[in-house]
Amino acid sequence: MQSMELPLVLFTVLSQAAVGMVLMSAVRGFAGHESGSARNEWTLVAGLMGLGIAASLFHLGHPLEAYRALAHLEKAWLSREVLAAGAFLALAAGAAAVGGGRGALLWGAMLAGLATVVASGMTYAPPAFPALNNALPTVFFLISAVVLGAGFANWFAGPGSQALLARICATALVTGLVVRLAVPCVWLSGGEVMRLSGLAWLGSPLYWASIAVLAACLGVLWKNRTIPVWLPILALLGELAGRAAFFAETVHTAVNIGNLY
Amino acid sequence: MSHTPSGLSRRQFLKGLSVAGAASLLPLRLLMPYSAQASTAFNAKDFEVFRNACPRNCYDTCSIKTFVKDGVVQFIEGAPESTFTAGGLCVKGYAYTRRIYSPDRIKYPMVQDGRRSGNWRRVTWDEAMDRIAKKILEIKEKDGNLLGLGLTKYSGNFGITNYGVEGMMSSLGYTTRFVGTPCWPAGIDAQNYDLGDMWCNDPEDMAKSRYVIVWGANPAWCSVHSMKYIMEAKRRGAKVLVIDPVFTQTAAKADIYWQPNVSSDGALALGMARHILDLGLVDKDFVSANAVGFEEFAAYLRENVTVEWASDLSGIPAEQIREVAEEFATADPATIWIGYGMQRHTNGGASVRAVDALVAMTGNVGKEGGGARYGHLRTWGFNYHALIQKQPEGSVGFVGGGGPKGEFDFSKGEAASYTDRTFNINKTAQGILDAKDPAIRMLWVSCKNPLAQDFDRPKLEKAFDTLEMVVSVDQFFTETVANSDIVLPVTTLFEEWTVNVSYWHYWLGINEQAVKPMYESKSNIEIASLLSKKMNELSPGSCTFPQDIDTKDWLEKEFNQGIYDYFGIKHWTDLKNGPVKAKLASTASWHDMKFGTPSGKYEFRSDLCAEHGHEALPKYKEGRKPYDEFRLLTPHTKFGIHSQFINIDWMHEYNKEPFLYMHPDDARAKNIKDLDTVRVFNKVGELRIKAKLTRNVAPKSLVIYEAWFGRGNDFNVQNLVDDEAADMGAYKTGAPGVAIHGQFANVERV
Amino acid sequence: MKKHYAFLVDSEKCIGCFTCAMACRNYYHQVEGVVWRHVYPLGEGIYPHRERAFFSLACNHCENPACLNVCPVEAYTKREEDGVVVHHQEKCIGCGNCIRSCPYGAPVYNPVEKRAEKCSLCHERLDAGLLPACVQSCPTGALKLVDLATMEPGNEIQFPAGFPRNEKVNPSTRFIMPKVPTLVRR
Repeated sequence: MQSMELPLVLFTVLSQAAVGMVLMSAVRGFAGHESGSARNEWTLVAGLMGLGIAASLFHLGHPLEAYRALAHLEKAWLSREVLAAGAFLALAAGAAAVGGGRGALLWGAMLAGLATVVASGMTYAPPAFPALNNALPTVFFLISAVVLGAGFANWFAGPGSQALLARICATALVTGLVVRLAVPCVWLSGGEVMRLSGLAWLGSPLYWASIAVLAACLGVLWKNRTIPVWLPILALLGELAGRAAFFAETVHTAVNIGNLY
Repeated sequence: MSHTPSGLSRRQFLKGLSVAGAASLLPLRLLMPYSAQASTAFNAKDFEVFRNACPRNCYDTCSIKTFVKDGVVQFIEGAPESTFTAGGLCVKGYAYTRRIYSPDRIKYPMVQDGRRSGNWRRVTWDEAMDRIAKKILEIKEKDGNLLGLGLTKYSGNFGITNYGVEGMMSSLGYTTRFVGTPCWPAGIDAQNYDLGDMWCNDPEDMAKSRYVIVWGANPAWCSVHSMKYIMEAKRRGAKVLVIDPVFTQTAAKADIYWQPNVSSDGALALGMARHILDLGLVDKDFVSANAVGFEEFAAYLRENVTVEWASDLSGIPAEQIREVAEEFATADPATIWIGYGMQRHTNGGASVRAVDALVAMTGNVGKEGGGARYGHLRTWGFNYHALIQKQPEGSVGFVGGGGPKGEFDFSKGEAASYTDRTFNINKTAQGILDAKDPAIRMLWVSCKNPLAQDFDRPKLEKAFDTLEMVVSVDQFFTETVANSDIVLPVTTLFEEWTVNVSYWHYWLGINEQAVKPMYESKSNIEIASLLSKKMNELSPGSCTFPQDIDTKDWLEKEFNQGIYDYFGIKHWTDLKNGPVKAKLASTASWHDMKFGTPSGKYEFRSDLCAEHGHEALPKYKEGRKPYDEFRLLTPHTKFGIHSQFINIDWMHEYNKEPFLYMHPDDARAKNIKDLDTVRVFNKVGELRIKAKLTRNVAPKSLVIYEAWFGRGNDFNVQNLVDDEAADMGAYKTGAPGVAIHGQFANVERV
Repeated sequence: MKKHYAFLVDSEKCIGCFTCAMACRNYYHQVEGVVWRHVYPLGEGIYPHRERAFFSLACNHCENPACLNVCPVEAYTKREEDGVVVHHQEKCIGCGNCIRSCPYGAPVYNPVEKRAEKCSLCHERLDAGLLPACVQSCPTGALKLVDLATMEPGNEIQFPAGFPRNEKVNPSTRFIMPKVPTLVRR
């Protein structure tokens, strides 16, 4: 088990929540639904991303030199992630300033947001973690984006959108739970480091806490058919716990050097 | 390039290169890359280079090149001039760079208010010496002699000038000395009886051997530089057999590994000898021309020894014994490295004699690439200027003493009415408790950590408590220092001048002062001169040790023409260009067949041995009877030499804690799982430690590697080792050895 | 093929003495907890005797280094002239991405500098015609510096059991596997 990487947990989850909100905003737009306060909504989007980026700085040994992280766009997904997240923040802040994102602003934010999620997914799928050196991180992150995006978007959605958002949120939760439960079990039959990762996840209180919290959210949605105001906060906590397990419990190949893989 | 490395095809490789090349041309680059050249090349001219020599009790006694910048040791390496050291040190040696600057070093003279209290306070050198000198004078006043002042010193620093510690004691008067050696005395006596001296071949000639038996030694941990010769012999087609109760790292590099019953070595050697005799593979020329007593030995073998008997005692199948005996006897040359481990038994000396006989009867003594290798002191012909000091006029001492004060006692025993009083170093605790008229009131400890290394630690702590004053000279707050009243900080090898030789190889290395002593540390001889100054200030004429000394001058005083000739140098300053090797007529010891025995020949029958109370022939002697359920072995770790090095924080990176190693079957019976904490206990004491389960260890054995860990760990194997004597050692070292591996214990999960 | 330096880890000769690891520390004085060269014991599934066979490993100076590829500030370069992967610590911002990415655990975090660091293959010594400190220190010749371009092929392998197989990064280290003696015991 390595460090929980709290700054990265916060950055990835909050940034994904922000991106998810933009996606939901677009979905509502396509569905022709009226929005509530677009300014407040985009302010929250920008705030979540801003907070995430700020948190991520604490992860650096030298936060003041963070700007240099853009230096290796040609190869490093982390550089691309920084660029995409920065662009997203700028667009979201711009949208908040003009009282809401529409048209090019919305499309731009959506693209930058998706790029951020994909770049995160690639950054946190390094060769040293065989269990994650694949599309899984991107899948996890997209699901988180949709769950949290739908949850938070509900705060700003008109009554017409609420059922849709609840459906989207519930679907994402179901998908998320299935993936989250299945993945470590699949790892158990993989190579040694994957197997160890599976065991570590299944033995992790953080992992089970996230499952429990997200299952509870699903239960509430099932019963209510709409998203209660407090639900996104609860889902956020569940996602944070799950992300902490993601960073802390996945096993690094170097741990097993000298033993059978 | 005609071939590609396996696992990487040329095409893949080129593809990788072209991808990397193409990527570097992509226009996405936002910032210009820094140059791939990270920093400027290493330049030896940036450093002052000094010559040092590792002074520890180690076969390898490495010659060191020390790189100093701004008065600070930056890094060290093995001297490339020595073919033995060959440019590299060992894990311990490379930790020296830290040792000198360790935050844990003792920086000043300190006084402890209450032993084991940890209430240390800094005092000046003058204050410390004043207390010490006054105590010495008080003892003299009370007892009328200085026999109440004891010295225990051994191998913590083998730099020749450090014999000034013994010199300091002599310069005060006749004192009490703990003599002998815990290390190798039984084997030394055995080799003296058989051959007339302990004198081994140049280890570098092991490469020429056609059959190498490493018997009870673990050079892969304790003499890493010797391994290359064994490996070279193997590469040239020699067979390598390792005999050890533990499947050691050396065993893992052998062709064959034998795990005999502990202390059955004598039987094993004799069984092989019997088979060689039966096959008629005895070197008749050697045994008739250069040996005495072979026929009696042969008769003993025929009457008392069979291969089956040896097999029964040792647990090695008879077929194996026969096969190896035959191969060994027909290989030319064949050699046996007799480890110190196998003689740390109540039958250790007898076992070494049996192995010597095996080497001799096959004609491998006096042969390059052959030999019964144990050790040698041939290169130790210094003046011992620091050691040899005169007692003050009118000193009163012990009547009826005498004899050697250890294997490194090169003083010529002079006829005197008085001598020092001696006690067996292997029974330090008992010696302190037994000393009467006068009792030992004060103990000086230098180059030694008795609370970590001496046997029966619980008893030793009690014994220390009877002492009125204990002065320790050390670099770290060891357990011995914790049981002292005064500690004096001593220099490391980089901070003093001295000279070093090995008891294994034939190289000579100078030890230059590379940097100024850190803090207030002083060398042993400087401490002696300070004490002398204080003694004479308080009581003129009470100490003869020179009061103003220069360690470099004293180094020079150790050299003589004999050393210069032996090593082929004109002056000791030649050694500043690097270590030199003795000009050997042959790499073989005893190559001229002139043995040091009374008969001048190899003595299968040694009357001298019989005179000292042993068998004249190398007969089988039974080992110690078990006194507990498990055999307990406490051999050397690779991370330290006895109690040195393990405590250094750098070493801690690679060796975090000690373990007990035991067989999985025994562990199952005791309900112990891997890494469980267990209690190991016997009649001496107990310790708690985590267990590792491994078949490297024989069933019914417990293996714990010594020694002092430091860093808050109270681990100490001497809580489990008693002070039972080995059979031999008194003849050449002044006291018998000790049965370090003749120990037993039990274990339980806690 | 171009010159490409690599470590040859001959576990048949290796005695697990940790000399190489300490020689590295002696030369670079890494801060507490930072280890560039590890001596890994082989598990009993690979070598049947516990703690009796080892891989001495530091950076593998890979053909396609994960550290270099993921570093957002281009603190890593691979030297054209000999393939050495160099970490330029002054450029590092301590993001830890290389540490998370290298399958071999070569880069490590220096808590004092708050930046990553790793084995440099002693390139400043190579440039002066010297061997890396670890290679020079090895008492049995078990750790060697080889040039993959000119190395005579023998029984060395790239991915022995006990070493993560990652063909994409293509580690340059080569291995010779240890042997087991004939055991005679009760």
